[in-house]
Amino acid sequence: MNQSNPENIYLPKLAVLDRVVDEIDEVKTFFWHFKEEADQAAFRRFRPGQFAQVSIFGAGEFPASLPPSPTEEETFFTIRKVGSVTDALHRLRPGQEFGVRGPYGNGFPMEQYHGRNLVFVAGGIGLIPLRSCIVYALANRDKFGKIQIFYGARVPKDLMYQPLLREWEKAGGFECYLTVDRPDADWKGHVGVVGSLFKKSGVQVPVANTTAFVCGPPVMFRFVIKDLLAMGLPETDIVSTLERYMKCGVGKCGHCCIGVAYVCVDGPVFTFQQIRKLGEDI
Amino acid sequence: MRARIIARNEVLKIVDLLRRDHEVVAPFRGGGRDTFFDTVTDENRGRIEIHLPNPYLPPKRYVLPQIEKLLRFRPRDGTWELLPEFNDRKRAIFGLRSCDVAGIHHLDRFFLGREFRDPYYERRRKNLFIVNVVCTDPEQDINDECYCLCSDTGPAARDHFDLQLMDLGEGEFMAVAGTPAGEALFAEPIFRPATPGQVERRRRILSEVRHRFKNTTGWFSATVRYISRGQVLEKTWEEIGHRCLECGGCTYVCPACTCFTVTDRPVGNGEIERVRLWDSCALGGFTRMAGGHNPRRAVHDRRNRRFFRKLAHYFIQRELSMACVGCGRCAAVCHGDVGMPSVVEMIRRATAELDRHEPVKS
Repeated sequence: MNQSNPENIYLPKLAVLDRVVDEIDEVKTFFWHFKEEADQAAFRRFRPGQFAQVSIFGAGEFPASLPPSPTEEETFFTIRKVGSVTDALHRLRPGQEFGVRGPYGNGFPMEQYHGRNLVFVAGGIGLIPLRSCIVYALANRDKFGKIQIFYGARVPKDLMYQPLLREWEKAGGFECYLTVDRPDADWKGHVGVVGSLFKKSGVQVPVANTTAFVCGPPVMFRFVIKDLLAMGLPETDIVSTLERYMKCGVGKCGHCCIGVAYVCVDGPVFTFQQIRKLGEDI
Repeated sequence: MRARIIARNEVLKIVDLLRRDHEVVAPFRGGGRDTFFDTVTDENRGRIEIHLPNPYLPPKRYVLPQIEKLLRFRPRDGTWELLPEFNDRKRAIFGLRSCDVAGIHHLDRFFLGREFRDPYYERRRKNLFIVNVVCTDPEQDINDECYCLCSDTGPAARDHFDLQLMDLGEGEFMAVAGTPAGEALFAEPIFRPATPGQVERRRRILSEVRHRFKNTTGWFSATVRYISRGQVLEKTWEEIGHRCLECGGCTYVCPACTCFTVTDRPVGNGEIERVRLWDSCALGGFTRMAGGHNPRRAVHDRRNRRFFRKLAHYFIQRELSMACVGCGRCAAVCHGDVGMPSVVEMIRRATAELDRHEPVKS
């Protein structure tokens, strides 16, 4: 059997780790490229919100969101060390090889949001899956209305992508608000949960013609949804990505099947209305 | 007319013909109720049974093995070779019951339908020749749990086999071809044309055997409706969940269950083998993510999931069949008596009470 058999949905493509950047405690960003240029070109057609299956040979495979925007040059994953396979990835050194399959999933239908206001609400590492569409939206700034980013973490050192956050805070043309639950001595910004930013003076969250992207831990998700619904945002205009245990990424292994959906092929992007009807914990 | 007649004492010659270019598996009898599928050899060929209780372990493993090699990763000169491990063996199953024919057809729709085709399943399936045997012996073929009349999959499969055999009594079997490959066998001199009288006898035996099933009142349609509309009460799911012992047995014996997990294992010389193994939604870890978060915690959530996946209208439309073929195996192996027939009845009874129509007012 030759390696490039395009029909084998379970066969990863070889990727090479280029460099590793520390983000926060236990979270690193892994820059990589496919060994074959053709694989790289094919992969670069991904959409914000899609994911890939990452293989560490001998340790296993796991689903990883794609934090880069298709408008960026580099391909990378941002991964928290949380289990045996992610631990194996964290121990990988630049130059070493691993496997990638994908991109998979529906992704955010960014074209459908043209002309709309975009409100991004992220908590903790929930910024990883949203990073892609935020960068994409900023790169296509003229296609969207008002853009707001609300991002919070437990403590300042848990804020992801700090160089990017500093850029976002300084740049014009959109609004970026940061908060932490527990400040340290150096923190001069807002203190409180993410939802408290909506009530901050001077903040005007648009409700009409707005799509809100919400990603974060389950508790944060529930409260932010409550806030957004109370502001009058319809359930169909709130979107998120679901995270599930997955083995195949292509709708076969059955682990991510909830309600009438396979998260891997019918998602991972769903509107809040869909999520509610799927009837399972976030 | 594609029907032929073959003498009872020549039926196993079909196995011999198939063995020329296939590995043939057939049902055998162990001790007592124990029956199983095994590869036919010169030694055991004479012990193949045509009428016997359907083996508990379904023939699903011939298209979806319990453990299946997917890939081999070989380190070489500082890089990795990624090698698919396909199995291209030609195989025939002799004596597949109609429920299990429906099971394999359901797997076809699942693994080969929609956006992604499973290449491992596809190869095994393409190389598979199916000889279906119609259940006609009420003592041997039909068990207390047989449920195919309710799931509309038996006792005689209507299609999706290569060859179908039915015992007409009087030392004769009728053979029907379902595919050109099956029809090609009719060139062999063991087959002779069927008379209209024999075709009539087939029809009569089929209509009689339908009355020999014990379990004929499972009301799938009502249960499908209640589940699809979300009308099943939480307390009914809880009752089902309380009776589930979380052993996973129902999923392992189910000819229509598809879930698997994937794992890497070292095989020496630094090489790694990636295999997939049957998994079960009955088990607590099925949805548990790295880090410990499990969106599906309670047992009844997991039971709800299994029966929703099998019976919800949405999935029936997607695969064009229910993911239950009425084989009754789950009912036979379940220690808590929450196999499909019981669950269908529990849901129907509990929900029907709430589904009363208001009388029409004039």
